[in-house]
Amino acid sequence: MLQLILRRLGTAIPTLLVVILLSFLLMRLAPGGPFDGERPLDPATRAALTNAYGLDLPLHEQFFRYIGNLAQGDFGPSLVYRDFTVTALVAKGLPISLTLGGLALILALTLGIALGLWAAVRAGGGVDRSISMVTTILTALPSFVTAPLLVLLFGLTLGWLPVSGWNEGAPLNLVLPVIALALPVAGAVAKLTRAGLATALSEDHVRTARGRGLSPARVLLHHALRPALVPVASYIGPAAAGLLTGAVVIETVFALPGLGRYFVQGALNRDYPLVLGVVTLYAALIILFNLFADLIYGWLDPRVRG
Amino acid sequence: MRAPLIIVGVIVAAALLVPPLLPWGYDMIDWNAVRAEPLTGAHVLGTDNVGRDLLARTLVGTRVTLGVALAAALVSLVIGVAWGAFAGWVGGKTDELMMRIVDALYALPFMFVVILLMVVFGRSILLVFIGIGAVEWLTMARVVRGQVLQLKQRPFIIAAEAAGAPARAIMTGHLLPNVAGVAIAYLLLTVPQVVMVESFLSFLGLGVQEPLTSLGIMVKEGADDMDIAPFALLLPGGILVTLLVCLTLAGEKLRDRFAG
Repeated sequence: MLQLILRRLGTAIPTLLVVILLSFLLMRLAPGGPFDGERPLDPATRAALTNAYGLDLPLHEQFFRYIGNLAQGDFGPSLVYRDFTVTALVAKGLPISLTLGGLALILALTLGIALGLWAAVRAGGGVDRSISMVTTILTALPSFVTAPLLVLLFGLTLGWLPVSGWNEGAPLNLVLPVIALALPVAGAVAKLTRAGLATALSEDHVRTARGRGLSPARVLLHHALRPALVPVASYIGPAAAGLLTGAVVIETVFALPGLGRYFVQGALNRDYPLVLGVVTLYAALIILFNLFADLIYGWLDPRVRG
Repeated sequence: MRAPLIIVGVIVAAALLVPPLLPWGYDMIDWNAVRAEPLTGAHVLGTDNVGRDLLARTLVGTRVTLGVALAAALVSLVIGVAWGAFAGWVGGKTDELMMRIVDALYALPFMFVVILLMVVFGRSILLVFIGIGAVEWLTMARVVRGQVLQLKQRPFIIAAEAAGAPARAIMTGHLLPNVAGVAIAYLLLTVPQVVMVESFLSFLGLGVQEPLTSLGIMVKEGADDMDIAPFALLLPGGILVTLLVCLTLAGEKLRDRFAG
């Protein structure tokens, strides 16, 4: 198991470095700079600012400086939020995004696996077909449409839940964002569970279990579900990426001060260090989740541990 | 699979043919009818928060969204088929390297790469679809490579090789026509994904720019204004959802037909 982790880290770290390098180069190639405002700065101020942010150094030196600082947890100063460092912004936004993403992942897995199980039990019937239709629609629905619709229904029309805002993480404020974020992933998980169960139920060990006279529920949950969840586990990596991407929209719709909000603001304002920092962090999170998925994969299917 | 495609067809036809017939352009402002309700007055489906005709805007927005999506999907088709077919056909070390690159790219957060491109090269509609196309070709490349690997073993390809046909002729004459079916199925599945990416970017203000409109921009505008005039959200949102669901359903059916 340890060897598997080390091997994965061996590919994960170079991938992360390449991501940082590419996004760094892209940002520096960009036409227009952070000091190109509507009113041009006078040359002396401009030179002083450029020097203060180290933007006058050769490109490779800037990069090594950035990596060095990064290793110490310093993402550099934000060029737009002048009073904050990127690290401070990330520290403020990350817990909110992680809460949102974590809850959405749990909800998506629970809902998705439950739907998949239900469909597999009723394979071929009307329930199966309806669930298959529902899951397709769920995966096709973008969160930036479902989120405003949910707000319209539950927030504005029925008035049951708050429309937006973080409100120090009050549970009621989290309900709609988490649901909107989880639905597309839940659809994909349900599809994978259903397909995995269809394969697992026709395997020999499941037939043996049935032949021993075990109850259908026990066969399904104990013998078929575990191998069926292998494709679900390998989907956790992409699901994490999907949740992070979705969170960008959800945080914008619900006005939550998470990482995604800062990312969009940074992108709209050409705040290089902020965008670069968030992309690096996102890439690291996704790589981490892929690693995590590999571990679950190994736990579910001992054959791949080898 | 037929019903979804017919619905898509109707929406596409409406988006292409109807706007010139309407008395209102998508960017014309009617100060006498701001936030007009549907089916009242001169605007059949009402107006938005600055008095622009919602029907005209939705149709033009659909046109822009689908146009971008189709262009980007075609970019991804060309790159994906070329990459996959080449890797599958050459095989060996080259194949392994090329597929490793695809694997590595899969691990990247796509949307952020596209946003990065938008930030770097400015927000132009051309770049939107080149950027999206350039990151959406990975699945296509994998599928096409798999197909080519299978086809390579088939007797008619071996016969063509034995008959001394040049590699290019085998590629264009024998391999690509047999890959076409699967490629089209995945093209159909790529379109909704690209629609989603484009709307996502436009929603955040990073994609298509005003005064041009797209479904993503309209959903955003409608969402900002929904406490007063929910219809401005429901109309573009409904069209977008219908398109996405129908294209996905049709694409999945077609894919299953070719795969199974």
